[in-house]
Amino acid sequence: MKSTGAAISAPGLLFAVAGVAALLTPFMTLAANRIVAGEGVLAWNIAGPAAVTPGLIAVLGGLGLGLLQRPASLRLGGAVLGLGGLLWLLTQGASCLLAETGEYARVSPAVGFWVLLVVLMLLMADALTAMAPKPLMRGAILVAVLGALAIILGSGALSDLSVMQEYAGRSDAFAREAVRHLGLAFGSLAAAVVIGFPLGVVAHCRAALRSATLPVLSFLQTIPSLAMFGLMIPILGWVGATVPGARALGIAGIGFAPAFTALVLYSLLPVVGNTVAGLAAAPPAALEAARGMGMTPGQRLLRVELPLGLPIILTGLRIVLVQNIGLAVIAGLIGGGGFGTFVFQGLNQTATDLILLGALPTVVLALTAAIVMDILVDLTRRLPEDAT
Amino acid sequence: MIEIDSITKTYGPTKAVDAVSMTVETGTITVIVGTSGSGKTTLLRMINRLEEPTSGEVRINGESTLSVKPHILRRRIGYAIQGHGLFPHHTVARNIGAVPQLLNWPKDKISARVDQLLELFSMDPAEFRDRYPAELSGGQQQRVGVARALASRPDLLLMDEPFGALDPIIRTRAQEDLRHIQQRLGSTIMLVTHDMEEAIRLGDRVAVMDGGKLVQYASPAEIIARPATDFVADMVGDVERPLRLLSLIPLSDIVEEGPAEGAPLSADASLREALSACLWSGRSAVPIERDGTPLGRVTFEAIRARAEMQA
Repeated sequence: MKSTGAAISAPGLLFAVAGVAALLTPFMTLAANRIVAGEGVLAWNIAGPAAVTPGLIAVLGGLGLGLLQRPASLRLGGAVLGLGGLLWLLTQGASCLLAETGEYARVSPAVGFWVLLVVLMLLMADALTAMAPKPLMRGAILVAVLGALAIILGSGALSDLSVMQEYAGRSDAFAREAVRHLGLAFGSLAAAVVIGFPLGVVAHCRAALRSATLPVLSFLQTIPSLAMFGLMIPILGWVGATVPGARALGIAGIGFAPAFTALVLYSLLPVVGNTVAGLAAAPPAALEAARGMGMTPGQRLLRVELPLGLPIILTGLRIVLVQNIGLAVIAGLIGGGGFGTFVFQGLNQTATDLILLGALPTVVLALTAAIVMDILVDLTRRLPEDAT
Repeated sequence: MIEIDSITKTYGPTKAVDAVSMTVETGTITVIVGTSGSGKTTLLRMINRLEEPTSGEVRINGESTLSVKPHILRRRIGYAIQGHGLFPHHTVARNIGAVPQLLNWPKDKISARVDQLLELFSMDPAEFRDRYPAELSGGQQQRVGVARALASRPDLLLMDEPFGALDPIIRTRAQEDLRHIQQRLGSTIMLVTHDMEEAIRLGDRVAVMDGGKLVQYASPAEIIARPATDFVADMVGDVERPLRLLSLIPLSDIVEEGPAEGAPLSADASLREALSACLWSGRSAVPIERDGTPLGRVTFEAIRARAEMQA
């Protein structure tokens, strides 16, 4: 689309309006302790003018750059500038607000901050989409963003924030639950692949099995997640109590095993379904030619159907991974561990920042997994020669 | 030599192919022509056992095709289909080398064979070897499909509507190329088409199928001059018959001494082309040459006389 006169990016305009509106809502909240509701503070009141002005200018400047239709790199620069301003305001506000209050006071980002964060990230995503970087470049950008995040968190610049104070008291538990969460998400993915991929291959070859399997797996997918985790308690509890040796393996009604099992069950439909769809995606003429030139069924599968279906199969794994990183939060409810532990503790204590301590890493993890899997899918599409 | 011995294929109560017997000489093109549902494709697919015959057998150089496993048999028989069926995720070189690879040829032998075939099909190996099928034109894809079918020097090449997906101009060119390559390599080809024009143009022998039966198996001239049934006559087309006949006779047959005006024709061209040139330019004779040397002329009268003689 060429707009000659007004070179204003339509999404950029939307982002600017939303961003300016967000600046008019409380940027941070200050509470007397970690449980009571806090009081909202507008962005220009969080610190002295000398500290606030550069941040506000950066945020507004970033939103302004986002208005430009092209080049997209300027919009990307605007997003980075805006995010920098946001970070600046957050650090200045946290230390300044806490300086004037009592020992138990907590300061947190408020709605204005969160909306601006989302708006600027959308601006960044929009600019990156327009720039259409190559898969490896996207990987480099992801590493840079995660690296910047790690440096900011490691530097202690945000340690005055309430959510970081929740972390400070629980850093050991956080590391343990992070490993647990990854174990649940990736372990259930691995188990689902080990079960689901062969099942998908066999279902591809046998129409009868295909029509029997997929409806059952679709049905499993419709069970609400809370109910599924709940259902696992009596079932695995019974298994642990009756099957010899099961208890020694850690199989019981609550804990890791039922959470893991529920995640595997949810994963089967995307794995099996996308394997079947991927294997069926090979052009019929190519398969006819493969048969006509004397390939055995196994050779057709390995040399034609599998490489051509790989992007679709990997898309299935992407769905599973992102879905399970999110669903694993609910494992916390039945003692399965993971970031859900903090979410449910926070819910019980009405400590919002403890909930965030569980929710934020989950979101970052899911986004990272989605981007990495998208890069892998693209690589298998672009380098078909390497797929076999 | 390919011997097809009363081969039959039934699907439930219907006979798709009904006791067809025919013999195909080595080094010739045999075209199987018929309407859809005539059983022509089923007949072809029973030769490399993509369809198993209900009864009867096929012998290639005296050996029954039932004596080897189907996939082993198919590696010895080239197979080219409509819409080429190239592997989209493999390069041109890997597509052409597919059967030699199945036969475990050494790598350097495969790549030498690939380059040789690309040159045979007028495609520069350096330019095309590493391309993907999606990066080729329709005509190039079709040529790669045929090159792939020829890669392992098969005893026999089966082609199922190989030119069906091409536009008319490229199709004519592809048919000529196939003729030349067949003559150079001495391949034995069996080709299925629904287009009688293509059958007459390409076939040393033409087999006409109707309702699962082989209704006539003869040379193109014989098919045109003496159609065995009304169906064959319909396929040839009454109005088209004299023109089709003329298209089979080279000008060198009736060239005579004498002058003629206008652009010359090659002695290898057909009477049909000379007739067309006479009608279009209002001439009563056209000059004939071979490789630039004048040979004489062909007159409108002579063409007419020849056509009457055939009918």
